Amino acid sequence: MARPLDPLGFEDEMCPVCKSRKYLNPDIVFVFNPECYHSMCLNCANRLFNDGPNQCPHAGCNKTLRRKGFRSAFFGDLSVEREVDIRRRVAAVFNQKEDDFETLQDYNNYLQMVEDLAFELVNGSDEKRRQAEAQLAAWEAEHRQDIERNKKAGREADEMSRKRLAAERDAARQRRIEAIKEAEEEKRERVRSREMELDNLAKGITTAAEPATKVQLKRRGQRGGITEPAAPNPAAAAVAGMGASEVERLSIRGLKEKPKAPAPQGPYDPFGGMDFAPSRYKLHVGLAHPLMEKYRLDRQHVAGGYSFDDFAARALYEAFAGLGVFVEDEKEVGNGNGLSQAGEMVAAADDPDRMDLD
Amino acid sequence: MANSPLVARPTDALQPSKSLPTSSGGTPSGGLPRSARGQRIAAEARPAMDLMEQMNEDEKNKYIKGKKLGEGTYANVYLGHSRVDASVKVAIKKIKVQKEYQDGIAPDAIREMKYLQKLRGHANIIILHSVFSSKDQNLNLVLEYLPLGDLEMLIRDVDHVRYGAADIKAWMGMLTRAVWWCHDNYVLHRDIKPNNLLIAADGEVKLADFGLARSFADPGVRMTANVITRWYRPPELLFGARHYSGAVDVWSVGLVFAELIIRNPYLPGNSEVEQIALICREIGTPTEENWPGVTQLKEYTVPSDVVPVAGKEKYMGRFGAVGSDGVDLLAKTLILDPRRRITAREMLEHRWWKADPKPTPKHDLPKKTAGAEEKAAADLKRRNGMVEDDDVRGSKVARKLDFGAAR
Ligand SMILES: Nc1ncnc2c1ncn2[C@@H]1O[C@H](COP(=O)(O)OP(=O)(O)OP(=O)(O)O)[C@@H](O)[C@H]1O
Ligand SMILES: [Mg+2]
Ligand SMILES: [Zn+2]
Ligand SMILES: [Zn+2]
Repeated sequence: MARPLDPLGFEDEMCPVCKSRKYLNPDIVFVFNPECYHSMCLNCANRLFNDGPNQCPHAGCNKTLRRKGFRSAFFGDLSVEREVDIRRRVAAVFNQKEDDFETLQDYNNYLQMVEDLAFELVNGSDEKRRQAEAQLAAWEAEHRQDIERNKKAGREADEMSRKRLAAERDAARQRRIEAIKEAEEEKRERVRSREMELDNLAKGITTAAEPATKVQLKRRGQRGGITEPAAPNPAAAAVAGMGASEVERLSIRGLKEKPKAPAPQGPYDPFGGMDFAPSRYKLHVGLAHPLMEKYRLDRQHVAGGYSFDDFAARALYEAFAGLGVFVEDEKEVGNGNGLSQAGEMVAAADDPDRMDLD
Repeated sequence: MANSPLVARPTDALQPSKSLPTSSGGTPSGGLPRSARGQRIAAEARPAMDLMEQMNEDEKNKYIKGKKLGEGTYANVYLGHSRVDASVKVAIKKIKVQKEYQDGIAPDAIREMKYLQKLRGHANIIILHSVFSSKDQNLNLVLEYLPLGDLEMLIRDVDHVRYGAADIKAWMGMLTRAVWWCHDNYVLHRDIKPNNLLIAADGEVKLADFGLARSFADPGVRMTANVITRWYRPPELLFGARHYSGAVDVWSVGLVFAELIIRNPYLPGNSEVEQIALICREIGTPTEENWPGVTQLKEYTVPSDVVPVAGKEKYMGRFGAVGSDGVDLLAKTLILDPRRRITAREMLEHRWWKADPKPTPKHDLPKKTAGAEEKAAADLKRRNGMVEDDDVRGSKVARKLDFGAAR
């Protein structure tokens, strides 16, 4: 067989039959027939083969071609197109899996054999190609059942992974949706509890209803003594001990949230030069608040790993940061509760008698 | 070998819109000659609207949109550059329109915006430059462009990317600082995994994708348990906990750590049940003894054969490459009881960081190779829970020869 047509440069691709060039006729479409991989323009293919089988017009090529067999190339280089076709054909027949072999060595030998055969089909002389074709046919006949089984298994595996992929995508989408619901639920909850609060205010009732709010704390303060005065303890003392200057510094800390880039020299600093925490207010573990007490022993909070220390820290932090910065968050879902409470918690700390800290 | 037939064509650049979106009244909202503008101000409610829209237009016109970089669950991400200086590159994350939220902006986008803004200014958190809406009300987040792929690409490209303990320490340092920063600002990320850790041109790792983030919840406020991609999801979430803490992210960090070492997902469960089984088998069965209260969690179920909690020795065998201190840190991130699990801050205080070898300077870290682009496509499949044959077989097996080489 004649070697497949050498690839021509893209710009001056020319139909060898009618000599039209891509350069002059940009709409020209090239097709080829896998019988011999000789290309020609679509017009020529139609003209020569529409009336029935005919001989390939390439000089020295004696293949008989049918119009039906022509297609356009996927690859620019027809020799690549041909090789891919051959390898696809080989792979469909030699579709054994590693599991089908006793040892890894056997599998590797098989792969080597398949590769040799494919190489001959692609690059071998006419004689070698004929031999290889015969081998291929023989293998196919001999292993028909295995081949079918593996083909089916392959399809099933494809199908499985396709399904799994789809399921994963679905799961990811589901997570997004639930995160959205979570936020909406919280918003509703906040509105609801606010309404309840207002209702109660209107009725002149003070309940221990959650969440504990400003109003509630103030009332307790006014009624002074209805709640047991908190015994002084280190945590309370720490909060109470924060002077005005301390408060000042803390609020500034909230503002300087955009830290400067750390100096690159020196020993490795795991915090990357951004650890402000030690200079902050000291946070004592076990800081208390009615809202926390209610849930502190709740199994779902305990086992879920909910951190009351984090809540206390956040409540304090937001109280200070709120002075200057996160006004937006105040209005936001789920962020405001802690903030207003902490403000009260700290304000209350000025007067030990009014404290709800134990 | 022939060139890949798959040619990625840049999408049409975002042109300065000739037909500007019209406001409800039908008045063109921007680009009007000065004289016309005076008139509009006369109309009562208009100026505010127009100003906003004008600002949006200005913001949008600062950038030119280029080729698609990637696709996520709720967004397509495009390369973009500044109109005035084409060398200034950005990533434009265009939020997909969601059927459920046709009116109003996609809530995930708000989330991402809100938290990126809040966490701004840390070297290991992706920078949000600006936000604008394009025609059909699509929200676009303009993000820092991170050209060197993500950690998953590096982990997976075993043929081309070699790395060692010093590199792992550097990457882990950056990841842990990012998570610590989130938690220090009372934000839970809730989707930490290698492909959400993007890499900047200078090698810095940046935590991205805040589409599931939220603030720490107040006591009593229920959070959803269905967060974090399964392989990185901690046992408390698998058991349906609704009141949790930053410990959930720490678990994910631990699994990224493990994956960096063994270069394969450590606990790749194919379902939630299997995920729990894997955790029990590899780390130990959660019981009332090692995790008080766990049996009260709504979805608590474990395989009947109770496996004792793994000791450090067990981890040494598999993860010894990071040394005994590294393994100690890893083991503490994988403590079953979230209350006893190490926190992000405590992680940074761990002695491993000061131990030898020193973390690799970010500029010297291994980078993805040119072939990584094609691999990325393959990764896209396997990151979703499929492990390809090649990954498992590794290099033991002779690969089918590349036909390009045989020509
Ligand atoms: N800043 C960036 N620079 C370069 N590429 C990016 C950037 N942001 C995102 N990408 C690419 O786009 C892809 C999708 O982005 P992202 O993960 O943010 O979207 P998502 O919808 O939140 O995805 P998912 O939740 O499925 O992970 C990423 O995997 C990455 O390849
Ligand atoms: Mg992502
Ligand atoms: Zn022709
Ligand atoms: Zn021919």
